[in-house]
Amino acid sequence: MSPVSRRCVLTGAALTAASLIVPIGGRAAESNYEITDWIAIAPSGEVTLGLSQPEVGQGSYTALPQILADELDADWQRVKVRFVTGKAAYKIAFRQEPPAQKEGASMSTTALFGRLRIAGAAARDVLIRAAAQQWNVDVAQCRSENGFIINARGERLSYGDLAAAAAKLPLRSDPPLKDKRRFHLIGKPLPRLDTVGKCDGSAVFGIDVMVPGMLNAAIKTARAFTGQVTAIKNEAEILKMPGVHAVVKLAALAIANEDAGVQHPQLPNLPRHNAVCVVADRFWQANRALDALDVEFDGGVAADLSTVKIEAMLEAGLDAEQGVTALERGEPRQILKERAAAVIERRFLLPHIAHAPLEPVNATASYKDGAVEVWGPVQSVSACQEAVAHAVGCAADAVEVNVTFLGGSFGRKIVPDYVLQAVQASKAVGRPVKLIRSREEDMQHDVYRPNAGGRFRAVLDDRGYPLAVQARVAGQSLFGAVRKSWLDHTPEGACDESMVDGIYNQSYRLPHFLVETVDTPLPIPVYFMRSVGSTAAVFFWESFITELAQRANIDQYAYRRNLLANDPLALRVLDAAAQASGWGTTTDTFRGIAYNCYIGRGGRFKTYVAEVVELARIADGLAVTRVFCAVDPGLAVNPNTLRAQIEGGIGFALTTALKSRITFANGGAEQSNFFDYPLLGIDEMPEIVPIVLPSDRPPQGFGEVVLAPVAPALAQALLHATGRRLDVMPFPEDAFRSRA
Amino acid sequence: MAVKFFVNGMPAEFDGPEEVPLLWVVREHLNLTGSKFGCGIGLCGACTMHVDGTAMRTCIMPVMMAQGRHVTTIEGLSHNGEHPVQKAWTELDVPQCGYCQSGMIMAAASLLSRHPDPSDADIDREMTNLCRCATYVRIRAAIHRAAKLR
Repeated sequence: MSPVSRRCVLTGAALTAASLIVPIGGRAAESNYEITDWIAIAPSGEVTLGLSQPEVGQGSYTALPQILADELDADWQRVKVRFVTGKAAYKIAFRQEPPAQKEGASMSTTALFGRLRIAGAAARDVLIRAAAQQWNVDVAQCRSENGFIINARGERLSYGDLAAAAAKLPLRSDPPLKDKRRFHLIGKPLPRLDTVGKCDGSAVFGIDVMVPGMLNAAIKTARAFTGQVTAIKNEAEILKMPGVHAVVKLAALAIANEDAGVQHPQLPNLPRHNAVCVVADRFWQANRALDALDVEFDGGVAADLSTVKIEAMLEAGLDAEQGVTALERGEPRQILKERAAAVIERRFLLPHIAHAPLEPVNATASYKDGAVEVWGPVQSVSACQEAVAHAVGCAADAVEVNVTFLGGSFGRKIVPDYVLQAVQASKAVGRPVKLIRSREEDMQHDVYRPNAGGRFRAVLDDRGYPLAVQARVAGQSLFGAVRKSWLDHTPEGACDESMVDGIYNQSYRLPHFLVETVDTPLPIPVYFMRSVGSTAAVFFWESFITELAQRANIDQYAYRRNLLANDPLALRVLDAAAQASGWGTTTDTFRGIAYNCYIGRGGRFKTYVAEVVELARIADGLAVTRVFCAVDPGLAVNPNTLRAQIEGGIGFALTTALKSRITFANGGAEQSNFFDYPLLGIDEMPEIVPIVLPSDRPPQGFGEVVLAPVAPALAQALLHATGRRLDVMPFPEDAFRSRA
Repeated sequence: MAVKFFVNGMPAEFDGPEEVPLLWVVREHLNLTGSKFGCGIGLCGACTMHVDGTAMRTCIMPVMMAQGRHVTTIEGLSHNGEHPVQKAWTELDVPQCGYCQSGMIMAAASLLSRHPDPSDADIDREMTNLCRCATYVRIRAAIHRAAKLR
């Protein structure tokens, strides 16, 4: 082992490096007074607001501090944001599970809105009391404004002047909250606080972390999900390569599993070692050595996994005699049986897809004498702590996690498999290690969005509306694979509601309705991905509604309006989208409309969405020109970041609808990079027209809600334009070809 | 023999293998981490820098190709983020996760140096960087805005 470090001499003055001190973790500066778990105030008046939710692009870095600062009556120009961890206040519960500090399920603003308002108000309350004491007046004579407490005589004390005294006063658990008419930040389209750092290169992502004494690792994983390392043939030569410190075999990890260690009963046990990494001074040295490493893997017990087999399983699931009933209302089975000749049936299919965040997964870890510190793009602090603690045998709280900015995640970076690999590498070499997956490793060892197939059957009444509907979704069950505690147990078996999310829980008028799921378990690592099961389920459901409306010869908007007549909030978004798009005024424009009420886990929120996709003729076919998106998100804390989620969410969904497909052969994923797993480009991005409806409801979830209606609305528009039904995602490339 | 070049106006020298990608020399030896690694095959553009003023994908550019040339990274595009593209990007709040944006800004700056007032078709043709958050609506608007700020 000879750490020959390569030299890069800077002749002349030193270059200005971006600040690589990760602005997170640790304690507030000594001179700051901690007023609550969330708020520290310096004597200078600078206010530091704690951010518990990782910033993955959704805008929490701005919107959540906005809530705190508003109730605090802070001067927004003097606010700083700091990622925080380690306190119970930072944990939220998503469903029936222990509270966790993580970003996910579009839950951050909904879950924290009340908590942050109370924290801000409690801090304002002690500042007012501290001022009242100082002036020796009644608190009723004191008010707060923009970083000052002001008394009846017009005298002012700054929050900085009062911080020391306020920090000593007991906090009220029920401080008076502002009347919402007095909000001065909440509801304002404030610029994002992280924009400047993201435009000058100074924002620190996981891949940018540097810690003293750090080495770098590059990794190669068995192609097959059940494969393992069988031989490393040239380790001695590799160790002689410049900068190389070690070749480390890495233990396989439970598949994307927060129910740690629990295996699916129908799946084989995982192999012992499924990856190897080379640790070197520099990443480029590790990468070169990895390229030269002669390592052999086997395929393991599921080496014959292939897309052909997977799709055959899916078809069998769709045609199975019986599924697991998620919902049954009226007498759907009897009606469909009695009127078999009149049954309308459609089948749908969509594949596994990869998250493909632009920042490939990576982590920096330091293992020393059983204590672990981690730096990196971590979407769930709690899941990371628990997994590391389980792996090294320490308490979860002893694992220190420093969260950087996340270069995209979409659910991927909740699963800390890459963190555990960095920890193993650090343990092996006795120094901090940053492990970066190549794009190929990131894509071929993702925790994929599961596949799904749909079989939908219906009989219409004499007016053309659904009398009886059977909706069956088959596929690899997400909850069955990674979240068994969320399965609903029925006499027919376990039901995974995420497979039918957006079907069973909508307010369409369906007198006789049967919703079923069929699990087709696979040895493929899967996990939650932005909008989860709804991307599949709503595509199936809304496309089936499109079919029924067409059979009934009723306008698509009118048909949905009729079926949703008892849900005024649904009608509001549907009407808004239709009106904005000029529905019914078609000239040479083709439109499609779709609706979904996105319901938060455990029913925590309801965000209403309707979208109209508009196509226009171009030289060689059709193009998506505009997408109208009407939403009722409750109170929009920051309309600027909310609009950004509409714009980006629709673009993200277009990638899913038009491009994303992971196929499998020889036990592993076939796609490896953006040439065979392409993303939407700017030339394919339509104009987005957001219509954000005012609402008296508190903030509802938003990060995932606009995705699901995109594909069915687009499919419907293409159906109008070309007469072709699209029942497989991604849509074929020639779907945009004009009708001859 | 060492490769000698300039980064953000300062002389730099690298005596490792000459085929090491410029991206990693800049990130790991010069500690300038604003340029990102995304795909390693020159497709996504997260690693975009200017080499003698032109946008280049540096994850596939051997460092030897920078010999004697002037490399500009996002950190050196301007002092205090004052390049018109950075100003427009900030004004319109373009970034979401932000990971691709250094490369996007460098690509847009290069585009504007060749097309001071680009059409939408110019943008479609030239801006081939990828953004997984799909911030393209604001990227397009910000390029048009930057053209006015210049």
